[in-house]
Amino acid sequence: MRHLTLTLIATVLVAVTIPQWVFADEAPAIPPDDLVYCTVCHGVQMRGNQNVFAPRLSGMAGWYVELQLNAFKNGWRGVHEKDLAGMEMRPMAAALSDAQIATAAQFVSATRSPLPEQTLDGDASAGKKNYSSCAVCHGANGEGNVALHAPALRGLNDWYLLTQLRNYRDGIRGSDPADNYGVQMRATVQILEDDQAMQDVVRYITTLHSD
Amino acid sequence: MNNLSRRNFLGMVGAAGGSSAIYKTSLAMGLLADTGPKAMLDLQQPGSEKKSVAILGAGIAGLTIAYELERAGYDCTIIEASHRIGGRNLTIRHGDIIDEMGQPQVCNFDDDPDLYFNAGPARLPGHHKRVLHYCKAFNIPLQIKANVNRAAYIHETDHFGGKPIRVAEYIADARGFMSELLSKAVDKNAFDQPLSEEDQVRMREFAKIYGDLDENGHYKGTSRAGYASGGFLEHGELKQPIEFSALLDSNFWAGGLSRTENFDWGEPLMEAVGGMDNIVKGFVRNIKSPITVNAQVQSIQLGNDGVDVYYNHKGERKKLHADFCFNSIPSHLMKGIPNNFSKDYNDGLVALGPGNFFKLGLQMKERFWEREGIYGGITSTNQRIRQIWYPSHGIQHQKGVVLGAYTFWGQSNFFERLTPQERIRYAGECGDKIHKGYSDYIEAGVSVPWGRMNHMMGCGSRMAPENEEKYFELIRQPEGKHYMVGDQVSFHSSWQEGAFASAEYALLDMDKRVRAASAVEGKG
Repeated sequence: MRHLTLTLIATVLVAVTIPQWVFADEAPAIPPDDLVYCTVCHGVQMRGNQNVFAPRLSGMAGWYVELQLNAFKNGWRGVHEKDLAGMEMRPMAAALSDAQIATAAQFVSATRSPLPEQTLDGDASAGKKNYSSCAVCHGANGEGNVALHAPALRGLNDWYLLTQLRNYRDGIRGSDPADNYGVQMRATVQILEDDQAMQDVVRYITTLHSD
Repeated sequence: MNNLSRRNFLGMVGAAGGSSAIYKTSLAMGLLADTGPKAMLDLQQPGSEKKSVAILGAGIAGLTIAYELERAGYDCTIIEASHRIGGRNLTIRHGDIIDEMGQPQVCNFDDDPDLYFNAGPARLPGHHKRVLHYCKAFNIPLQIKANVNRAAYIHETDHFGGKPIRVAEYIADARGFMSELLSKAVDKNAFDQPLSEEDQVRMREFAKIYGDLDENGHYKGTSRAGYASGGFLEHGELKQPIEFSALLDSNFWAGGLSRTENFDWGEPLMEAVGGMDNIVKGFVRNIKSPITVNAQVQSIQLGNDGVDVYYNHKGERKKLHADFCFNSIPSHLMKGIPNNFSKDYNDGLVALGPGNFFKLGLQMKERFWEREGIYGGITSTNQRIRQIWYPSHGIQHQKGVVLGAYTFWGQSNFFERLTPQERIRYAGECGDKIHKGYSDYIEAGVSVPWGRMNHMMGCGSRMAPENEEKYFELIRQPEGKHYMVGDQVSFHSSWQEGAFASAEYALLDMDKRVRAASAVEGKG
């Protein structure tokens, strides 16, 4: 019954326009009891909580949520000794069954929350130049491309994007040969020559945020 | 005055004698069933409308607030995100669920009332008057808990040959050597302001008694360290003092040695007979307000006429409107919960960062430590487990539950990343270095990493000193009719008394406002 409710809500959501600011008394998606865990750290409607290093995931495409939950479960993410936040996530993902992962993906993709606030500075115009390479897979507007297994980037927290770019660069993510798309991303991230270039491109991506 | 209603009459009684007078008078008038113990605080509910209160979190602070406000005539509703009441006051027994994020455990201790583990608060000092007040009010039996035991060990893998030595021995030798130095300083009168002859005599005598020095002011060992042999049928033979340099090399003086000097840990301490959660049970017995578990807050919105709280329960979104809201949600999770607080207030909540204490309990099939002369108290080690606590209850029973690790920060992170089984095995290996065959005695174990406990993800929150001045008072003060509470809003976080104190502070503040508003209303 709970899953049915969720599916119904998700279906209704597709049909209505989601306001940028979700009011308090609206409930775009209510997690089933066994997935309430997600929102303890990621916050209500997966709005993110930088305090506990949990990124905003609201509205993330279900296929990517599933892919990454499996990446944690398989030990492609969250095993490197420097990946402190990833290590926080991994036991939770590891405990999920395939069916729970599918439900989690459905839930996460149905969540809505305000767009993330800007927390980092950077030169968006410099970032835009580099982003043209990113756009090949992630789309000109950061909308993602499921055919290429490239997730949407808009709507993600700037601090989280920067952390992940660094993680790819430092081999904290994308090092396991079984993680095909991670390995690809790790190779690609080398075009960003330094931390500043990463911050700039992240700053540009945040200009793409929209619903 | 002819048509004096019962409410008006009670109002007059209250004005004259406070809420306890109302309570007693109500009882006499048959308006109120005898609800058991009395309130600690003298709160009153003036005004014509019954006021409602939303309490977020059924830990010590929330339960205290419900208990006190119920008695003052408020209408309280408690919602709790986790599956249980009590917050971090958690006693684990046979069959209990430990809701660790991603690694839930079920306690496999024997089904025996003596085999329990206080995974949260475990010690009550005599000056924590609020918690002791409620223990007395609820008839919760307390017993002495040994926090320090001179027969327990100091163990450092890289000192004293890696062998455990008795706490008594270390303390006696350290004091002996320090006293000898003091005595020599007196001999040379090596002080900025020379001591009078009379003071010199007294000081030498002090050093002699303090360190058990011989007639010449030298330390040659003491029976305080325990005898090497004899003592009953033969004269006791003193232990050879540990080399002074070895004492200095060891790190015990930097931590464990001063444990009892901490006022909160000063002997004697107490604990609730049968488990610390008897305090929680005492509140539950004496609270009538509804407590809904598995109810997760989704939004807190301040309005002109109170506070709206939205929460999810059993797959449905619910709304709770109240005149006042008391919130003990861990502050580090508040950023994930929509609200319309001011930016400053939210910044203050962010500034309050969580700790990550880790505790592990082991059911031992025999109380082998008692054969070593250890009854209660704590062994200190430089291994990751840091401490072993021996139970003060169930003395000389067959089995017992020891605390097999109690850690902070980096050590806690280490344990958090192990599976529950790996934690037990690791703690067992550490214990083997202190007690022969320690691992073999382990029958069952549970571990509680507070940084990973569902709906908490932390404990013992505090602000960095640079934030304290800027934010502490800000978040202690109400935001509209919303109060942050809990040990996190006190200078005694990670102690129950901090939660009680915070609850008391918020209640008294609210009471003041209600009385002031009522006085205005009365004049109008």
